[in-house]
Amino acid sequence: MITYIIRRLIQSIPIMLGISFLIFMIVQLAPGDPIDRFRNPNIRPEQLDQLMRLYGLDKPLFEQYFSWLSAFFQFPWNDRAWGYSLITNQPVRDSIFERVPATVLLMGSSLVVTMIVSIPIGIIAAVKQYSWADKIISGFATIGYAMPSFLLGIYVLFFGGVWLGQLTGGAVSFPLFGRQSIGSEGDVLDIAWHLVLPVTSLAIQSIAGYSRYLRASMLDVLRQDYVRTAKAKGLPASRVIGKHALRNAMIPFITLVGLSLPSLVAGAVITESIFSYPGLGSLTINAISQNDYPVIYATGMLTGFFVILGNLVADILYGVVDPRIKY
Amino acid sequence: MESADIRATGRLTAPEIDEVDLVPVRTYWQLVRIRFLRHRLAVIALVTLAILIVMSIIVPVISGETWKKSSLALIDAGPSLAAPLGYNDIGQNLFVRLMKATQTTLIIGFAAVFIIGLLGILVGSIAGYVGGWVDNLLMRLVDVILSLPFLFLILLIVAFFGFRDIRVIIIALGIVGWTTAARLVRAEFLTLRETDYAQAARALGVGHRRLILRHLLPGALAPLVVAAALGVADSVITESALSVLGFGIAPPDVSLGQMLGNFRESLYSNPERIFYPGILLVTIVLCASFLGDGLRDALDPRQKVEG
Repeated sequence: MITYIIRRLIQSIPIMLGISFLIFMIVQLAPGDPIDRFRNPNIRPEQLDQLMRLYGLDKPLFEQYFSWLSAFFQFPWNDRAWGYSLITNQPVRDSIFERVPATVLLMGSSLVVTMIVSIPIGIIAAVKQYSWADKIISGFATIGYAMPSFLLGIYVLFFGGVWLGQLTGGAVSFPLFGRQSIGSEGDVLDIAWHLVLPVTSLAIQSIAGYSRYLRASMLDVLRQDYVRTAKAKGLPASRVIGKHALRNAMIPFITLVGLSLPSLVAGAVITESIFSYPGLGSLTINAISQNDYPVIYATGMLTGFFVILGNLVADILYGVVDPRIKY
Repeated sequence: MESADIRATGRLTAPEIDEVDLVPVRTYWQLVRIRFLRHRLAVIALVTLAILIVMSIIVPVISGETWKKSSLALIDAGPSLAAPLGYNDIGQNLFVRLMKATQTTLIIGFAAVFIIGLLGILVGSIAGYVGGWVDNLLMRLVDVILSLPFLFLILLIVAFFGFRDIRVIIIALGIVGWTTAARLVRAEFLTLRETDYAQAARALGVGHRRLILRHLLPGALAPLVVAAALGVADSVITESALSVLGFGIAPPDVSLGQMLGNFRESLYSNPERIFYPGILLVTIVLCASFLGDGLRDALDPRQKVEG
């Protein structure tokens, strides 16, 4: 197991290097320049050169790449490791870590909601296959799955934030674009109130996917011999479904959760941007639109890192929940 | 069971041979057509898509430049015969605009899939045919691209160009999207390369190019066609997501995603305006994926056609 993890980590090094190189090259080759915004008729060429030197833009590309890469991994103790934002002049590390809690909160709560809703739904749909409940759930799942996330976001925002308020005469309305607060800003209730709509729109989509997935794997397991044996020896249905069937049906499900880890950290760019949520996703979008190189590098590297880590965690979890798998 | 049948019909082996002769011989493509027509949802999807394509070509052609003309007098004007859905907040004919937007979105979807297909076939067939370190290198490149979120890379490339017209969006979608197609073609090639007919062709002295184009590629066609149909849906969704984030097609051009991206303006006063492009978009996406499902069943030679 340990050797397997180590081997996988070593295998991921070239991919990480590839990611870093790819991001670096795309950003470097782009026509936009971070000192463009300083260019105006009043600035002297020497001053521009000075700025270039200050940001290290005068060095050869490969030198820039390697100095950036070697500094990158010093982030735990060096706040300059990821450089300074070209727009806000803050250390990139700090502005990223500042956004992480918000994104983890958003994605974490939508993951929890997804689990709480999709597991019972998936079980019901599988146990009562072809019943009206199953048909409703499957119908909902198909629609939720076919609906692009930005559409879902916009419509959740409209129905929850605008329509509901107009319907109830303003008695119930969820905050939009971070405007209203209830109580004082930043207390638990206020944060929860702001989370409702983005979490709903994120959860609807993943509930649709997860419940479909669980239904399929549950149906598969329910046909197995050991489930029939458990029924035959007179175990109550709850025990057969909850213990014998569900535990096995959850195995592929766990992978899905592991694979969703990167989006947990990188954030749902689209949903965050629609709801003006101050997470990592909107940070990335702003950085890309402003040519803020250091921030783009850091968010790209982080995302790539978490994709690889998520795959690894999923594989390890496989081994933990399924004793038949040995590494 | 079988003996019961024989007893009921009173026939034995000889008539069975006759029956075999009675079954008309059908070519592969005839079977494909029959199987496809049996898939009701796919047929409906094909018809709907065809109607949308025709509408999105005809309406902008007839109305000329109407889709970008705005008029102060017509701001937020109600529906009329010339404008069945009324006018928007800068006095543009909403229906004509929707059709023009559908046209742009469909062009992006199909063109992006074309590039994805070309790149995917090129890389996939080289990797699958040559094998060895070339294969290894290309597949690691695929791994690297897949390790980064799709949208992040596309955003980088769109930002890279600095301007956002239809060509840039198509190229960006193509550059990022080819990885799955390449994996698909590679996997097919790996198995097809070792088949008896490929061996036979090689033994006859068929060259590499002919072997790839005439013998291996047709075998990989079926999964590619299915992937292409689903790829149209994906490309359309991604383009719209880009627009919602503010990285899509820049005005004066218009796409469904761009119309959706302006949702904040009509949220309170004219909410129906966020539903028109949304409905069209979902229709296109659903049609493309049903079409993909139908094609998957139709192109699979293992599926039997009875009667």
